[in-house]
Amino acid sequence: MPSATLLGQALISGVLAGGMYGLLALGLSLSWGLLRLVNLSHFALAFLAAYLTYELGTTYHVAPWWAAAMIVPVMFLIGIAQHWLFDKFKVNELASLLITFSFAVILEVAIQLYWTADYRRFETHYSTMSIKAGPFYIPVLELALCMVAGVLAWGTWLWLRKTYVGKALRAAAEDADIAAAYGVDHKKLAYLLSGMGAAYAAIAGTFIALIATLAPTQIWAWLGVVFAVVIIGRLGNPLGALLAGMLIGASESIAMAVFEPAWAPVVSFSVLIAILLWDPEWL
Amino acid sequence: MNDRMGAWRRRHVLGGFIGLAALGAPAILRAAPSGQPVKVGGTLSLTGFLAQTAVIHKIAAEIMIEDINSRNGFLGRPVEYVLLDDQSKPDVARSLYEKLITVDKVDLIMGPYATAPILAAMGVAQRYGKVMIQSSMGIPNLQTYDMAFPATPFGPEPDKTYPNVILDAMASLPTPPKSMVIVTSKFPSAQFMAKGMRIEAEKRGVKVPLYLEYEAGNRDFGAIAARVKEANADFLWVGSLGLESNQLLEALRKLDYTPKTSFHLYPAPGPLALSPDGNLVWCSTFLEPDEPFMSRPGMKKIAELYKERATKANLPYAIIDAQAAGMVAAWQILEAGVNGAKTLEDKQIAAWLKKNVVTTVYGPTKFDGLYNHGEPAQLIRQVQDKQWKVVWPKQFVAPGVKLIPT
Amino acid sequence: MADLLSVENLSAGYGRAVVLSDVAFRLGEGEALAVLGRNGVGKTTLLDTLVGVTRRFTGSIALGGREVGTLAPETRAGLGVGWVPQERNIFRSLSVQENLTAVARPGPWTLDRVFRLFPRLKERRQQSGASLSGGEQQMLAIGRALATNPRLLLLDEPTEGLAPIIVQELLAALTRLLREEKLAAIIVEQHAQKILPITDRALILERGRIVHQSDSAALLADPMPLERFLGVTGR
Ligand SMILES: Nc1ncnc2c1ncn2[C@@H]1O[C@H](COP(=O)(O)OP(=O)(O)OP(=O)(O)O)[C@@H](O)[C@H]1O
Ligand SMILES: [Mg+2]
Repeated sequence: MPSATLLGQALISGVLAGGMYGLLALGLSLSWGLLRLVNLSHFALAFLAAYLTYELGTTYHVAPWWAAAMIVPVMFLIGIAQHWLFDKFKVNELASLLITFSFAVILEVAIQLYWTADYRRFETHYSTMSIKAGPFYIPVLELALCMVAGVLAWGTWLWLRKTYVGKALRAAAEDADIAAAYGVDHKKLAYLLSGMGAAYAAIAGTFIALIATLAPTQIWAWLGVVFAVVIIGRLGNPLGALLAGMLIGASESIAMAVFEPAWAPVVSFSVLIAILLWDPEWL
Repeated sequence: MNDRMGAWRRRHVLGGFIGLAALGAPAILRAAPSGQPVKVGGTLSLTGFLAQTAVIHKIAAEIMIEDINSRNGFLGRPVEYVLLDDQSKPDVARSLYEKLITVDKVDLIMGPYATAPILAAMGVAQRYGKVMIQSSMGIPNLQTYDMAFPATPFGPEPDKTYPNVILDAMASLPTPPKSMVIVTSKFPSAQFMAKGMRIEAEKRGVKVPLYLEYEAGNRDFGAIAARVKEANADFLWVGSLGLESNQLLEALRKLDYTPKTSFHLYPAPGPLALSPDGNLVWCSTFLEPDEPFMSRPGMKKIAELYKERATKANLPYAIIDAQAAGMVAAWQILEAGVNGAKTLEDKQIAAWLKKNVVTTVYGPTKFDGLYNHGEPAQLIRQVQDKQWKVVWPKQFVAPGVKLIPT
Repeated sequence: MADLLSVENLSAGYGRAVVLSDVAFRLGEGEALAVLGRNGVGKTTLLDTLVGVTRRFTGSIALGGREVGTLAPETRAGLGVGWVPQERNIFRSLSVQENLTAVARPGPWTLDRVFRLFPRLKERRQQSGASLSGGEQQMLAIGRALATNPRLLLLDEPTEGLAPIIVQELLAALTRLLREEKLAAIIVEQHAQKILPITDRALILERGRIVHQSDSAALLADPMPLERFLGVTGR
């Protein structure tokens, strides 16, 4: 039986690692849940942002938060441009999967052309800093990531619930024709939401640059687990996405600490299947 | 030796035309293979998850082809490398080799990179009776085809021999480690070595209190790090690929833990050498651009060219190492085989290789052992001042370099 | 008085199928019109065409003198067309209050006023739309249309399938809207006797055509057309 320290530490790192799943899931969940568009290029956009953060940081010595401040607005516009294409070609849910998959592949190739296929690592002095709390260590960067993800998820949740635009978006997601007949211009709102999704990808990307390994193929590394998170967290529910991310992160980590690390990838899907079988009301 | 062989070849090929006068032939005559090019077909994983390795091999191959063509080509004919992208997928590699042989009608083939594509290509090679030279199959007993030849000196049983190289190096330390944690990727060639390491360590009285396997592409090393820290052994052996070592060491540092001494199997060399966590870590290798390797024939020029082209290709780590050297050796072996057997016939090339010794960047290489392997020469290098230095076995250590204990 | 709505030569349908043909009528400010007819004669199609969710083939729809027949539904909504669909189509994933506020536009119909008209909705304001009973859903559908502060309210069989006691409650509310508030409205109904008393004019549809148009009072006094086209008596 593993010691309490080990379990506690595994839980902490798992929950914090899950913050990244949640952050990546956020934008995906919004566009899937509210626009009925499955945006596979979300991961590619996040990695593009990560590479830009890396480039700005290593070549021009721009601090990551300044890099984010530059990249996020650009990504917002990219999201809007992307939606313009969806709109123009009247893309539906299934077609969006195929089209955004192609987007992602094109971005992957572009990234590989510019940054090569080689691994890139953005070394910063705070990348391995941590806070000691009793016998446990809390990595600073992951903690910051979780706080940012928390603020974004909470803020987006409130926005969807409390503002006119948010409610109109949810109404249009449920029945776009009826909402339109009540004056909801969901096309305009969809542009806004697509921009937001891409901006969230950019924020996730900045953290990916700081925390993870950059390689073009890594774009696909997060796909499975983040999809599980989006579904468990309920489509279009930002808080659900974050909590599901942390749940999966924690389960993976505990599985690695108690059983075999190699089981980790199985965990997210086991949790997904278990929850789908259980079929709770909130799903 | 290469130079002597070159001269010998030159004499032979030009002999029919200008007689023995070729012995001192001017450069212009030597450097001009002519006629129909000899097509050598092969794939590399230019895209997909192995893509970071392909550029390295491609640069090495291009340097070698220029080098070979600047001498005498294959049997006086220029060499042309027909390179296709297998997308890191074995099934794609299989059909591309099929296509290279049947549609493109290449004269010879060159193996791809990494165990899975190599196995796929080997099946095709066997069906068509083609000689296949490969540089990167870490599990020799999978190479069951008798016309497949390894370019990298793993030896026939690296899972038995290499752990003992590591254990010897450990025993040479002022306080030899008594316990070892083994953490390995489930990537087949890493897992293969890790299993061997565990058996050999226990045979020699080094305890293995913790043995962990993680899935290739593992994202979070936090929990693994917590277990490594808790086990707190004298030595950490990591069966890593790519950046996994960096990730694990970073995760350990976040727990305020630095392993006393650690070994890393197949990490990305640049990032580990440059990382603050990488200082004095050990790693496997076959060659570094240092003595005694640099005195091997042709090596200096190849190392320089490699650095130049890798820098131009925007590779972050532009120094030749065992991966690129594997490709260099593969072409050296093919060149020696063709020009030695004096034919493009695969059977005769294979027969020649089995009977002769080829000098490559890895030194004199034989193919007369189990699975067509010769003597193992897998070494240990250590990060010293952000550079890789071969530190074990002693006969491969450059003058003035020592294994630094931690 | 200037016409609020003027429909001329209107034909509409689904795909290539023509359901309505040559429909023409007018509605003044503050007037209420009853649209009567048997099942499947095209009553819903008429309202849907006014809203803009069917295919209009020919004809014009002028709202306050402005042609709206070519405009998108969301634009028409902005110009004052409020709609209570036959299927109610409330937003089930939104709460009662959110259903009202998600589409609200400024005007006399505030949230409070809608709640005063339908106190049951106020009690259930935090509940999700999906949890409402049929009658409550109908109230919410009407309230939602009111919250957009329409110039013209379109109601498609508001009492259909509801318990008598609820029907009473709804009719009382409609009476208030139409008679006291003088909200211009078109009400589709199969049960003429329920709405003729609270409307000014009435028209009867038969296979997509208008076969009778008169004051509601006249139809109540002489129910012959009702018997002929609906097969019911006016009582
Ligand atoms: N979406 C549709 N596509 C094709 N035809 C339709 C559609 N909706 C209705 N129709 C047809 O149009 C005709 C008129 O239908 P409509 O719903 O307007 O009648 P209604 O008078 O509202 O009937 P009810 O009293 O049953 O509500 C019917 O023949 C119906 O089958
Ligand atoms: Mg109807």
